[in-house]
This record gives sequence, C-alpha cells and structure tokens, in this order.
Amino acid sequence: MSTSTNKGHRVIIEKARKNYGSLAALDGLSLTIEPGQFMVLLGPSGSGKSTLIRSLAGIEKFDSGSIFLDKQEVNRGPINIAPEKRNLAMVFQDYALWPHLSAFENVEYALQRRKLSKDISRQRVETALERVGLSTKGKNYPHELSGGEQQRVALARAIVADPALLLFDEPLSNLDADLRERLRIEISTLTREIGATALYITHDQSEAFALADKIGVINRGKLEQVDVPEEIYERPTNRFVANFTGIAGTFSGKVKRVSKTSCIVALGEDQLKVRHTVGLKVGQSVDVLIRPAATSFKKDSENKISSVITDVAYRGRGYEHAIDTKYGSLTGVFDNISHPRGGRISVSIDPDRCIAFPTESK
Amino acid sequence: MTIFWLVIVSILVLPILLFLAVAFSPKLLDQGPEWFTFNSFKAAADPYFLRSIWHSFVMGVVSAIFATAIALGVAWIVLRTNSAARKVWNLAIFALLLAPSYLIALGWERIFERAGVLNIFGIDVPFVRDLLYGPFGIAMILTFKGIPFAYLVISNAMRGLGEEFEQAVRVHGGSRIAAFKMMSTLLLPALWSGIAIVFAESISDFGVASQLSSPGRYSVATFTLYRSVMSIPVSFPLCAAISIILLLLIVVALLAQSRALRGRSFRVLSGRTRPITRQKLSPFGSFVSNASIYVLLILTLGVPVFGAISASMIQGLGTVISDYQINFDNYIRVIKSPLLRSPLLFSAEAALITATVAVILAAISSRMLVSTKNGAGKKFLDFFLLAAVGLPGIVFAIGYIFAYNLPLAQKYGFHLYGTVALLVLAYIATALPSTTRSLVGNMNQFQESLSEACRVHGSNGIKTWLTVVLPLISRPLLAAWCLTYCGTLLELPVSQILFPPGHAPLAVGIDHALGNYDFGGGTAMEVFAIISALIVVAVAFALYERLAPVGWKQLGRAHQ
Repeated sequence: MSTSTNKGHRVIIEKARKNYGSLAALDGLSLTIEPGQFMVLLGPSGSGKSTLIRSLAGIEKFDSGSIFLDKQEVNRGPINIAPEKRNLAMVFQDYALWPHLSAFENVEYALQRRKLSKDISRQRVETALERVGLSTKGKNYPHELSGGEQQRVALARAIVADPALLLFDEPLSNLDADLRERLRIEISTLTREIGATALYITHDQSEAFALADKIGVINRGKLEQVDVPEEIYERPTNRFVANFTGIAGTFSGKVKRVSKTSCIVALGEDQLKVRHTVGLKVGQSVDVLIRPAATSFKKDSENKISSVITDVAYRGRGYEHAIDTKYGSLTGVFDNISHPRGGRISVSIDPDRCIAFPTESK
Repeated sequence: MTIFWLVIVSILVLPILLFLAVAFSPKLLDQGPEWFTFNSFKAAADPYFLRSIWHSFVMGVVSAIFATAIALGVAWIVLRTNSAARKVWNLAIFALLLAPSYLIALGWERIFERAGVLNIFGIDVPFVRDLLYGPFGIAMILTFKGIPFAYLVISNAMRGLGEEFEQAVRVHGGSRIAAFKMMSTLLLPALWSGIAIVFAESISDFGVASQLSSPGRYSVATFTLYRSVMSIPVSFPLCAAISIILLLLIVVALLAQSRALRGRSFRVLSGRTRPITRQKLSPFGSFVSNASIYVLLILTLGVPVFGAISASMIQGLGTVISDYQINFDNYIRVIKSPLLRSPLLFSAEAALITATVAVILAAISSRMLVSTKNGAGKKFLDFFLLAAVGLPGIVFAIGYIFAYNLPLAQKYGFHLYGTVALLVLAYIATALPSTTRSLVGNMNQFQESLSEACRVHGSNGIKTWLTVVLPLISRPLLAAWCLTYCGTLLELPVSQILFPPGHAPLAVGIDHALGNYDFGGGTAMEVFAIISALIVVAVAFALYERLAPVGWKQLGRAHQ
C-alpha cells in the first residue's frame, strides 16, 4: 500500500456474505466505489451496513466474498490484510477518542504511520485541527470537549494522514440537528479536499442526499439500488427504496388506465394521475407512494383530493402541514402560509413525484 | 498467542489436571492399583468430609455476600463522596490486601487467646474467644479478607462509570437511593466478579482454617484436606476427590454469575465518559460515613495489627511466666539474624518477579475473557482460572510436585523440582486467577471501538496494546501488581510445600518461628514484612503519579 496519496482507492466488493448465526448480515452484496467518490450507504438498522464498513476497515471478515482496494485483494477467505495496512481512516459513531490522550495527541496518533519528522508532524496536526476549527483545543482531553468538538477531533484524526479511503460509521447520529448540519458540511468539503474515496453509512436519508456522489440503498444484506441521489429520489426501482428515501404517505387503489409513462389510479370517488412502474395492468391493485415534494395547496392543479388540516409546523421558510384525506394521511405538505388546523382544503399531487407499485400480498 | 497458551497449559492446566486425575485414576500417578475408580469419592462421602465441605460452602456464601456489600458501600463513600475517611481507606486498603488471612486470624488470636495480650492486662473475654474459634470467627475473618478483593474490582469499575447515569435517574424523578440502585446495576459485572472472587477465595482459604478451624469445633474443607495431606499414609486420591467437589461448588458460582449477566452489556467506559463530581455530605452523613470506615478499619486491621505489634514487643508472650517485658528486642533480633532476615529478602525478590509476570499474563487473560471472539478458548481459560482460584494452595502445590516429578518431565530435561524456578512458577500460577478476575471488571468497560480506532489508524495489535489498552487500564494494572506482590510476599501453603533447600520464603520463616514458640520473633517478622510491602506499594504509586503521563492519571479521577 502507498503511504500517502491524493487519490482515493478504487473499492470493489464482490459477493460479500456474512452470517451471525442464522442471520444473514450480508447476502451476496457487490459494490464498486470509484476513486475519489463519496458513496453513502443508506439503510435501516440491521440492514448490514455496519458489517460492510467494518469489514472494509478490516475489523471484521466476510464469510465469503472479497474486497479489493485498488488492485490489492485485502479480504478473501484466509486472506485478510490487517486494518493498519489498508491505508484508510475511520470516523466512529461513538467517536472512539482515546480518553488518555489530548485532542492533539489523538490526531497525532493517526499520523504515526507516516513516519514524518516531528516538526512536519506537528504542523500537519495543527493544520488538521485548524481545518475542523479546533486550533485552540489541542491540549484538551476528550472529556473536556463538547460532543460536536469530540466529533471534530475524530474527523481531524481521520483526515490528518491523507488516507486513500475514509470510512464514516454514522458519525452524526449522536449530535443535535444544527451541529449535525454544520459537521455534515465539514465532512463533505474536507473529504473532497483530500481527494480520498469515502464510504459513509447512515439511516438518515436527508444526510445521504446531502453528502453523496452516489447512494446505495441497502436492505437485509443486499443492495436494492445504487445510483446518483437524483435518480434514487426520482426513480426508485422498488417500494423499499421509495419508502426509505422519504414519502409523505401512501394511498391504495386500482389501476384504471395505463399510458406510456403514467397511469390513472382510482381511489374510491377520486382519481389520481401518477407515474407508474413497469408492468402495471388495468384493474390491478396498487399502492401510490407520494413524495413530500409532490404535495402542495395549488389551486390550479387537476390532480386534487379534498383534505382536513390536522397539524401545522413552522419551518422557517414556511409551514409544513399534516393532512387527513379519505384515503389516508399525508405529512410534510409545504406552503408559504399557514393553514389553520381543522380547515378543509384541497391538496394537489404532482404526478411525476408519486409512484405506483403493485400492492404486496400480505 | 501460542506462547501464552503454552505458559497457561504448563503452569496452570497441566498440574491441575494431573492432580485431579488422581481422584479417578490413582495408578496414573502411582497412587494406587486402579486405573479407573470412584473409591476416592466414596471415601470423600464420609460424614466428616461432607460436613466440612458444607461448612466451606456456607462460609463462602456468607463471606462473599457480606464482603461485596461492604465493599460497594465503601467504594461509594471513597469514590463518590467528600468523606474525610476516604484518604485513610486508600492507604489502608493495601495493608488489608497484604495481610494474609492467617496473619489477621493470628492477630485476633494473640489478643483474645488464653495467656494472650488482653490476659496479660488482666482482661478475659471467654465468649469472644468462643465466637472466634467457630463459624462466626471464620466467617468474620474471611469477610474481612474478602473486602479488599471486592473493593478493588468494584472501585475500578466505579471509576470508569461516569455520573451521567445517576444524574439521569435524579432528573427523571429518582431519589438518591434510586440513583445508587442504578449505579449498582451498572456495576453488576464488577459485583458478580467480586462475589465470585470472594466466594472462591473463601472456600479455598487455608490460612483462617489453619488457625480457627478444628475437628472438634467447626472444620472446613481445606482444614480436612490439610489433615489428610499431613497424615500418614497420605491419601492423594482422597484429597483430589475433595478438591473436585470444591471445584464443583465454584462451577456453580460461575454458572450463576454468567446466568445473571447473560445478554446484558455494561460497556460504559469511553472517550465520552466525564469525571465525576464528589457528593458533599451533610454533617450527619460525614459522621456516619467516617465512622463506618473507621470501625471497619479497626476490625479488619486495627485489632490484628495491635495483636501483632503488641505480641512482637512483649517478651515471653504465650508462656506461663509472670514477668513480661515490653521492648524492641525482637525487632533487633530480626535485623541481626540472617535466619530471620534472609526469608524477607528472598520473598521480596520472588514477589517482584511473580507480580510482574502474573500481571502481564492477567492483562492478556482478562482481555480474552471479555472478548466477544475466541469462544472455546475463552471458556477454557475462564474455567481454569476460576477453578484455580478454588483449588487450595496446598493442593495446588502438590499438583506441581506430581507434574514436575513425572518421569516424562525428567526425560525432557525439566529438572524443576526443588528449585526456586518451580516455586516462582507456582506463585505465578496461584496469583494469575485472582489477578485476572480483578481486571475483568475494568476490561468489561473498555469500548471495543477504542482499539478498533487504533487498528484502522495504522497501529498493529501490539502497538494498540501498548499505546491504548495498557494506558487505559494502567491504574488497575498497578493495583493488580501491588496486590500480587503483597499476596506473594506472605504466601504460606505453596511456599511450605515447594520451598527449595536454603531458600525459605518469609511465610515459612514466620511459621518456623511461631512453631518454635518464638512468638516475638515471628510477629516481628510479620511487622517488618507488612511495613516493607507498604513501602513498595507507596513507592509504586508515587512513581506512577510522578512518571505517568497526565492523560493516564486523569482517567476516572473525580473533581475535588
């Protein structure tokens, strides 16, 4: 492995399988991450994303399958290159700062493998701490830092040695919303500055869309879809991906007409035009998954359903409403003005941002 | 790891297995005609032996529960409050650890025995004497002896436990008592470890048994074992059978411990743990906490120390002469006489080596025991470490004689019988189980991600150990080192069986002196030994405070 690089690893994972007893954490998963790419793995708890990132780090091993970092195979059967030889760094969910070392020493520790002179080493640690806004906190011990500061130290530790691969294990999940947003931006910019390939795992879809060059949606040890954020959001290939990447609600109905790219779904007395997935037939039972961005209170729309406002939340830029319709509830219906609770209003549905999937048999 | 397992098998597993095998197969070690038999167990089923085993069990349970409960209370006072007595306790704890059970028992005896110290001053309390030489006395001394073991385990765990858990209870409406209960729950791994250690130590203890147990009054298993080993002809198969029954008792304790902890995670030590703030006690609270600590210290240390010091300064104690003189002649004799002085120096050297090696092995063992990996190896190690705690030292030493006197050992050039090396190996093997147990509670709190972070940031396994694992457990390691040093310095049963000619360890020297009715010389040696051990402990901690990096020292330290 190279000791220093400005270009990230190409990461190739092939047919990864890992079982914990009878539970399959990874079920034949394959994934390629291009050099310098910021890949986010998005999935619920227990989907296998932690197992995957820990295996990439070398902390765990696959039962079968392999990992290539550039052209070197680092894991296959008995071959398992030690974590310290993979030229990577990791930001842990619990930060994993060593409590007996100061912030400076924590960052410096990750630089030891580069075997730099003391002066250069000190300079790089100071630069890394400065980049994360902690140049005055180097002497503080972890317990003397706030949660956000601790995570910044962990971030500085991860970037200080210019690793070829950066791994992020849900690093923002323990932070408050404001801090999470600020650190998200820091992670995004710093990672791209050093040119490392990055793999970031999270269960938070907004975090995933904000950070990723590419998103992989993982479920039960398998990748459901890998694509750029826009495609994941606009064209989810299955119900799980659509569900997990954010919906305002789901209505059930029957297909009344099918055209090339859309269909008309009968919902009791009302009809809704929606984009359809491949293979829908007239008369088929479907679930219509509606994105929050598909909903509005526009008056000139044709695709409308009557509703009652059940809740209003001020969001700074405007108001998000929760509504009840005859066919189910919707959340996150945005408007610039507030509509009173209990008021009757028609909700418009943008056909391009709602997708019909065949109803799953229960 | 291969070397580690070789060492464990050679010093721990082989001697134990060979000795236990004698119970089933006397012919294997030339102890009888049968290759396989249960006759030794039939012999052990004699009411006399069964009664002594039952007595040991009762003493083990009583002392484990009382010692752990007292240790929890003391740990809370010392670590979580501003009680003034906490500083005294921190000094006293090592004295208590250092004092072998037989010395504590001897101290009480010297005071309350007929023609003892109190008698000399015209005071006679026969009812106290009767209590002392019976189950109450045995349980009391075993509890006293168990408190420091339980305290070390609990306090190390409590140091790593931030106060946020207690604060969470209080802000959610819980009382101080509810917060204390929450803390106790989080300390369960340490509490169970404490109970397991004290139980095992108590039922395998020989020191108290040798002083306070007797066939006519209240005999415990180790005492009957000792009598069996010392009787002629010796029945090693019978001793092995009794040992196996004692081991089974410990297996029950181990199972109870693992069942109680099944599926529960208590990993709370991490980079996010904040130091605690001491609770300021009210005047009444201060009085109660200080009084509790001082009364405990008087009972556990004050009485035996007074017994030893007074006995060492009284010329003619234990005799029927009426002209008793109080002076320092016995101490001068110890300094001048090589016979009395050289055992102290020899034992100090042996204890230094033993403590160092045992702590290294215990650190590795305890890490393995809390690891989520190494399933079979972990269970194997766990069983043998706990089994070895339960094996009486005297029996363990006999196992060593068997193992290293075998023709096979001689054939491969292991001429260790009768050497200092064998004695030190036996010391290490007997120290390893309790030293490991004392570290397990702390290792349990160690977040896996801290060492994983080392590996992914460029350190190999050894560097990870040296730069993160060891610094984080440096204080418990130092405590374990001191504990092992003190324990080895005054170790009696293994020393008595395995000491090489011309190299009498301290406990043998003291025993010989007491056996020759030189109570003054024997107790003066005791006092010297305890003072020397306290000096070593004080120097070790002073060096730690002076030399250890700031980051190591601030771990688990409370704000004043």
